[in-house]
Amino acid sequence: MSTLDYLGHGFAVALQWHNLLFAFIGVLIGTAVGVLPGIGPMSGVALLIPVTASMTGGLSPEQAAISSIILLAGVYYGAMYGGSTTSILLNTPGESSSVVTTLDGYQMARKGRAGTALAISAIGSFAAGVVALVGLIFLAGPLSEIAIKFGPAEYFSLMILGLAAVSGLAGKSITKALIMTVFGLLLATIGIDSVSGVARFTYDIPVLYSGLEFLTIAVGLFALGEVIKTILERESNDGQLAKITRIMPTKQDLKDSAGPITRGSLLGFFIGILPGAGATMASFFSYIMEKKFSKHPEKFGQGTIEGVAAPESANNAAAGGAMIPMLTLGIPGSGTTAILMGALIMYNVQPGPLLFEEHPQVAWGLIASMFLGNLMLLILNMPLVKIFAKIIETPPKYLIPLIVAISVFGVYAVQYTTFDLMLLMACGVAGYFLARNDFPLAPLVLGLVLGPMIENNMRRALTISNGDYAIFLQKPISAVFLVAAVLWLVVPILMKRRGKKVLVNEEG
Amino acid sequence: MNRTFDRYGAVAFLAIGTLFVIESRKITTSAYGSNVGSDIFPFYLGIILVLLSIRLFYETFRYAKSKPGKEKEKLDYKRFFIIFGSAVLYAYFMEDIGYVISTFVFLLIGFQTMNRGKIWVSALIAAIFSYGLYYLFVEILKGTLPGFPSWLGLS
Repeated sequence: MSTLDYLGHGFAVALQWHNLLFAFIGVLIGTAVGVLPGIGPMSGVALLIPVTASMTGGLSPEQAAISSIILLAGVYYGAMYGGSTTSILLNTPGESSSVVTTLDGYQMARKGRAGTALAISAIGSFAAGVVALVGLIFLAGPLSEIAIKFGPAEYFSLMILGLAAVSGLAGKSITKALIMTVFGLLLATIGIDSVSGVARFTYDIPVLYSGLEFLTIAVGLFALGEVIKTILERESNDGQLAKITRIMPTKQDLKDSAGPITRGSLLGFFIGILPGAGATMASFFSYIMEKKFSKHPEKFGQGTIEGVAAPESANNAAAGGAMIPMLTLGIPGSGTTAILMGALIMYNVQPGPLLFEEHPQVAWGLIASMFLGNLMLLILNMPLVKIFAKIIETPPKYLIPLIVAISVFGVYAVQYTTFDLMLLMACGVAGYFLARNDFPLAPLVLGLVLGPMIENNMRRALTISNGDYAIFLQKPISAVFLVAAVLWLVVPILMKRRGKKVLVNEEG
Repeated sequence: MNRTFDRYGAVAFLAIGTLFVIESRKITTSAYGSNVGSDIFPFYLGIILVLLSIRLFYETFRYAKSKPGKEKEKLDYKRFFIIFGSAVLYAYFMEDIGYVISTFVFLLIGFQTMNRGKIWVSALIAAIFSYGLYYLFVEILKGTLPGFPSWLGLS
């Protein structure tokens, strides 16, 4: 079957009424998650995994996997969109990926053009979603065909490259990022070893035999960590909400932003594919690029529509682009995609080159639903933007305890043990203190998700070579990956030595 | 950069790394049909973690002296300990006293700690959330949550 046939099937799956409903719920919750300052896309997606798991309980395993991943992906790109709402209206970015949007978005709002700014970012996000979709269609097949030829040694090195890329760009200190990565990998070794059946680090404690559940750790680190931060640091939005008047952009606005949207989408998409460089960097780079391209660079920062259109398209395109390495290679490039991948693994759907052969419904259904979801966002957000803006006013008094209760419910509904609830609480505290001291959390989750796969491939490769570690360097592709991994870590250090500023990705 | 935290962190990760290295020596070194056992991966990772923590410890000596007065933020520890403490108790006793009751009590405490007042609104939201979620999950979606304690004689 050709790619277009597969895509047709994908749309057939995505257009089933329950999947439409799931996509709708996903983008709706995602937008709310993006608007609410306390929860980001990572904790939003992590919190919803158990909820979707119970919602899809009646479906067959593959169908359940499709529906859940459609909902969770909807949360992801919905949050990308929702984050811009607070940036524009309140000057406080809901997500780190919309920090740049505050520069011009809030200025536009102060000039009474808040509605236009919101509309342009909705249109930009939609255009970016379409670009990402087209890119996925063209790249997904060929990439997975190349990847399917990889042996265990190549796979091992590729995953090391992925981890190195994420650690090299996450946070201020590479040492700390690497510590978190290795710690995540080590945590993944707890439990019964899937190759030999040997129990490792379990000390005869029954709950440890199945290993530490990735979901518990992710919800604890991200959702509870952020809750604790809000409780301790008394964050509040006292800013004045800007009024929304006219929503539809004028023809001139559309003309001005067509270029930035196209360039931002393309740039964002390619940055999104790179592991480690996520939506935050995409929006930064596209803003800088637009400023260079513009005939009036002095207007940037004073409320020009290009300064909203470009970064907003870029961060949405990056969210789509980040799906590519996750789906085709099985290597998530960011914290959020790592959580999405963990969710797929929970449904026994292994992302990677075989995904498109074994579960074409899941892969193409997701791709098609991303298109539909973006369409829904566009339709939803133009008329409903005023209602979404109201969500910002949700009092934290009710929000914070409810997030705790949802986390507890979510973890218990999947794991059924008090041990996991206690682990959840411990991870929450650890997450807060680690993040506060610049220990990035995304590499830990990435290590936890990738750990078993890295280990299996390493041991398979070593078994082939009879325990000779040189196999990783003798295979040319594998050697290239390893060299790239080393460069990815060393180059930023050298650049810092020379006194250059290195842009880091805070979203992870 | 918080030098004290990073130092303690480095020592903690050093200890964790060492523990994994020592403990992985106790795992069998071979698997059936392969001389690559399940001990290799954690063993080397443990060594890497040890090296990285030593590196972090060394880095802490090169931190610029933090400017006094800037770091001191007022953290609301009282609020944190009440909410977090009740969350831990909630998690611990949930299986004993059932989902609905424990969630209701936790939410009520949480709401009131965040912001005192409007106790009836808090109670109403807590009741709707705890019973609503329980009903939705257990009755409609046929999931499992600890029900009401048996000594209440409800079921």
